[in-house]
Amino acid sequence: MWYLKKYKLLKNGWIFLIFLLSAISCSSELDFDQANDLKLTPVFVANLTYFNIPVSAFIENNIDGGVAIDVEDFSPFRDAFFRKNLKKTVLNFEVENSISRAFSVDLLLLNENNIPIDTIRLSVAASNGTTVTVNQTVVFEGERLEALQQMAQVGFIVKMAAGSPLTTDSVGSIQLRSSATIYLEIE
Amino acid sequence: MKKVFYFIICFLALKSHAQNKQVLYNFAGIPQTLLSNPGSDVSYEWYVGIPLLSGISAQAGSNSVSAYDLFAKNNTNFNEKLRNAIFLSSPKDKILVNQQLEVFSAGIKLGDWQSNSYLSFGLYQEFNVLSYIPKDPAILALEGNQNYMGKSFRLNDINFKSDLLSVWHIGYHKKVSNQLLIGGRAKIYSSGFTINSTRNSGYIYTDYDDTTVYNQIISSNLEVQTSNVSQFLEDDYNGKIGIDLAQNTFFKGNLGIGFDLGATYYPKPEWQVTASILDVGFIRHTKDLATYTYKGYYKYEGINPNFIPNDDPDNVIKSFEEAIPRDTLYTKFTTWRSVKWNASAQYSFGKPQSQNCNCTTSENKYQNAIGLQLFAMSMPKNPFLAATAYYQRSLFEALQVKATYTLDTFSKSNIGFGLSANLGALNFYTMVDNVLEYRDVSKANSLSFQLGLNFIIPQKTRYFD
Repeated sequence: MWYLKKYKLLKNGWIFLIFLLSAISCSSELDFDQANDLKLTPVFVANLTYFNIPVSAFIENNIDGGVAIDVEDFSPFRDAFFRKNLKKTVLNFEVENSISRAFSVDLLLLNENNIPIDTIRLSVAASNGTTVTVNQTVVFEGERLEALQQMAQVGFIVKMAAGSPLTTDSVGSIQLRSSATIYLEIE
Repeated sequence: MKKVFYFIICFLALKSHAQNKQVLYNFAGIPQTLLSNPGSDVSYEWYVGIPLLSGISAQAGSNSVSAYDLFAKNNTNFNEKLRNAIFLSSPKDKILVNQQLEVFSAGIKLGDWQSNSYLSFGLYQEFNVLSYIPKDPAILALEGNQNYMGKSFRLNDINFKSDLLSVWHIGYHKKVSNQLLIGGRAKIYSSGFTINSTRNSGYIYTDYDDTTVYNQIISSNLEVQTSNVSQFLEDDYNGKIGIDLAQNTFFKGNLGIGFDLGATYYPKPEWQVTASILDVGFIRHTKDLATYTYKGYYKYEGINPNFIPNDDPDNVIKSFEEAIPRDTLYTKFTTWRSVKWNASAQYSFGKPQSQNCNCTTSENKYQNAIGLQLFAMSMPKNPFLAATAYYQRSLFEALQVKATYTLDTFSKSNIGFGLSANLGALNFYTMVDNVLEYRDVSKANSLSFQLGLNFIIPQKTRYFD
């Protein structure tokens, strides 16, 4: 008899527990498919390029014909993930000139065969004692962005315009500061 | 990248607990309580756990968001929900998953009827995940650095570990006097796989600069240790993951050793205090190793021409890759188990249930018990702590119930219930906690359950039994 009593108790305990849990348990409607809507849209900023050439460099180093030239390897788009998710690139340039001659700064974006795929020209007037600042923004989207992704090198041509000759007493420098803003869309 | 984010989402959606078996601990003389305190007041002539059914437990929890927060069917865009979830989280928020399955377990009393020494042994499988929310890297991936000038995105937010292992164990406990029981358990760990990335540091920093446009620094000290994982990542792997994992876990694992210690003390018949320390041990990883590192420092200034004729062109991408190289090492390493501590104090009261019983174990003499338990577990950042108040009651001889209220980092309203029933020699126990969360499980931050079936032959208390 005690056995039966125990069994009944056990059974009732079970039923009670199951009843309790099912009575109090429920769930709001969930939709896990919405994880497919995941879309990340981060915006990154980074340095692009910087130089500061003092006027003395044009005199002492005898930069030929007032033209300074250099080439740097730069292939930021080698990563397939980066290429796939890149939606837009904006390059910001700021040229400051405190030399009493006008300058043009050309950035030649070259592919791996040294063929230019894009050119950015920045022109700045001669300084009359105060620094001349020029800001320029270049936006790469669509086809221009696709072409940009071939970039492997950047050529710099800093060219001094004609004007009164510079002497060892001349002062000032030409400076370029620039940055890139990169818009990604990852889905 | 997206996969990484799905991984984070999975973590955000889970809510969990830390191997704190607060309902099971010290409850009703169930043999499995010996795994949380090898010095538990458990007596038996012998017992056998029903294979694969004697101890099943699963716990999952997170203290930031719930599945509902992310996946509720409403008009809010999923990306908005994800953004809110990440911004509301803290890098101290964690996700814990622990699952255990007893493959077999058994115990026997040593010596004659007057002896009070017991042996218990078995094999169980265990799976663990512990991850902190990688808040800063997640914000960087969601938003980028544009609007975060001057902020260091901390890489030590990346902190996770996961492993699958089997544990062979043998324990001994002895009633050294009417007041004191002590016990210990030796363990052999066999790790089926281990992923460990808990000692990361570094930052990604951007701010305005006077010379270049930005002052940009990446300082990275990232490391992921793995064992028995790299074989599955190889392109030509064509085995069955489930079978290979099981083989690695039970037969070909990386081995380690550890121990548990515990005691139960009765300063007075109605007062009981217990304490235990579990999983003091380590695993030495020597098979199928791969440690991936990403360490170095780089200050990025852009591509800066120097206008010196005929110099070699600089390559910032290359110098970055050289400054912070991605390396794979194959060195042996050691992982320590998460150590757990339990302690409790209990006061028993109520009329003795049966005057016939001549037992020296005092627990069953009282119908009611109230008590306090403390639990702590070592973790990579701060230890996990929990405090539990409970009430335990015997209903007749067959049924014991326990109700618990637990305070921990996951919840301040965690109410748990457990019952242990004996039908002859058959013992059945089941426990759930966070019962309030069952009102809507999708909003639950933490859920756990345990259940098991044992066959227990009670200890003879008289010579002629």
